[in-house]
Amino acid sequence: MPRSCKWGLLVDSAALVRDTIYRSTILLDRQEWNDWLAHCDDNFEYAIRAWSPEINKDVTYLALDRNGLATMVKLLPKHNTDHSPLTRHTSVYTVDVDEAARSAKAISSVVVYQTLLDGINSHIDAGESRLFLVGKYIDTFKLQDDQAKFLSREVRIENRRLDKGSHWPI
Amino acid sequence: MAAKNHRQWLADPALKPSEWVDSRIYSDPEIFEEELEKIFKKSWIPVCHESELPNPYDFRTTSIAREPVIVCRGPDNEVRAFFNVCPHRGMIIERRPSGSFLEGQPSGNPKRMTCMFHAWQYDMRGNCVYISREKEGFQERLCKEDVGLRRLRCEVKFGGFVWVNLEDNPQTSLEDWGAAAFTCLRKTLEAEPLEVFHYHKAIVNANYKLWHDTNCEFYHDFMHYHNRVTGFNDAYFARKNEAFDHGHIVVGTFEVNYEKYEGFDSRAALSFPHLPPNQWYMIDMFPGMNFNLRGSALRCDIVTPLAPDKVMIEFRGLGLKRDTAEERQTRINHHNSIWGPFGRNLHEDLIGVQGQGTTMATGSEPRRILHGRHENQTIHDENGMRHYYQEWGRWMNRSPSKPDLPYAEPVSVAAE
Ligand code: FES
Ligand SMILES: [Fe+2]
Repeated sequence: MPRSCKWGLLVDSAALVRDTIYRSTILLDRQEWNDWLAHCDDNFEYAIRAWSPEINKDVTYLALDRNGLATMVKLLPKHNTDHSPLTRHTSVYTVDVDEAARSAKAISSVVVYQTLLDGINSHIDAGESRLFLVGKYIDTFKLQDDQAKFLSREVRIENRRLDKGSHWPI
Repeated sequence: MAAKNHRQWLADPALKPSEWVDSRIYSDPEIFEEELEKIFKKSWIPVCHESELPNPYDFRTTSIAREPVIVCRGPDNEVRAFFNVCPHRGMIIERRPSGSFLEGQPSGNPKRMTCMFHAWQYDMRGNCVYISREKEGFQERLCKEDVGLRRLRCEVKFGGFVWVNLEDNPQTSLEDWGAAAFTCLRKTLEAEPLEVFHYHKAIVNANYKLWHDTNCEFYHDFMHYHNRVTGFNDAYFARKNEAFDHGHIVVGTFEVNYEKYEGFDSRAALSFPHLPPNQWYMIDMFPGMNFNLRGSALRCDIVTPLAPDKVMIEFRGLGLKRDTAEERQTRINHHNSIWGPFGRNLHEDLIGVQGQGTTMATGSEPRRILHGRHENQTIHDENGMRHYYQEWGRWMNRSPSKPDLPYAEPVSVAAE
């Protein structure tokens, strides 16, 4: 339900959440990591997880807090990496807003394509797009003023075959 | 010498024949088929960890040298391995990666392995216990007792890993095969039960030995920013590269300075039993399995060769079974920040081996791959790879540097 903000305008919190998820998708695709982190609360927690029917366990492939992520992306230029760009296709499925708690939870479908650049034999493969990841974003938000800030993001992927993997946040 | 013409490029290097290999061993289909027959069907292969089948009737499926294999835990708690192949019309018996036979299946009863096709049933010892309409179809000519599963040598050892050998009479017992190489970590890995917490796989277009080589040589730490800043000091360069019988290699330990990589912490609080803090041991087992202990987490790589230039690598991470939830999460983070699919090092290693696979695809021009560094058998010495290829040469009876010639022991074995 729309809510009045301090300037007397109507703010639709669910729309704000959706907008934040979509803008973040663009920032992540552009590898503008710090601009993405600017949408994250100081207590932000990030994780990539999957269910592995092979070992019958939930597996955590990466887990970092906001500082950990900031350091990780800062050090990226020091690392050798596969520079094949990732393109995320996000569809927000549900947004549940708790106006009283000024929080929200959203579940989005995310599909990540990798367009090969330098990972294999660039002469042959560069320019080819492959399906890289299939999963969901499970996000929680803090609503403040006219912003929705990420409190947590769980990237819950289906894949356990990850081949070369990636150095980047998904 | 400056850049070379074709003849110079193909000429033998100015090293001993044991110090380089012909890249055909990484790309030739005939050599590959021979490796499956002569090596993979006759070696002890760790296929999973016992914690993946904790309860009676739990199972896990895998394959060795194209043969589907099932491992299951019997009601007597014994872990046994069989071909996952129905003796009737050859259906794969169990299609799932893991599960429990305690539940019945659409075609069959609880506590049985049931082939879904025509509902033949087997017990956890591999006996056939039910043939549908047995007498009606086979009369007295064939009965259940004639059609048991193909059982395989199977032992749980060296930290709870499940080892399988397709050879009924292996040349070496598993104990003799692995004990010397595992000496450095055996007390640690057998102090208490371990548990798998991580699994993922990679399929890369490269020969399986190229992955094993990467695990055997640490010279490539130049590629890893993390290892350079947390490692490169006198203690690191003094680490011993030790060769053991049967082609195994152990890279000795030193104390890793994890704090030198910004954002990383010491692993000291969660060291594995009987180890000083932040140690790093590596055991590389012929023909391509790897046990890598970094302070708080054990990693195990198992290769499944798929083609001369294609390999599947399964990555596992293990902690102590008794870990609290909080300890476990910390171990997982330690493991994944370096070795996970989104970690700092593994991605780099996989780019490296994929890059080699690209230049050594089947049909590419054979060339010389150098394994000739001598540094007093310390960390950047390439004696580990040289040792591996001697063993490979013996099993294959092919010279690694001239694969069309039979294997001959290097003259100066003592110098190794
Ligand atoms: S193939 Fe298995 S029961 Fe027929
Ligand atoms: Fe490495």
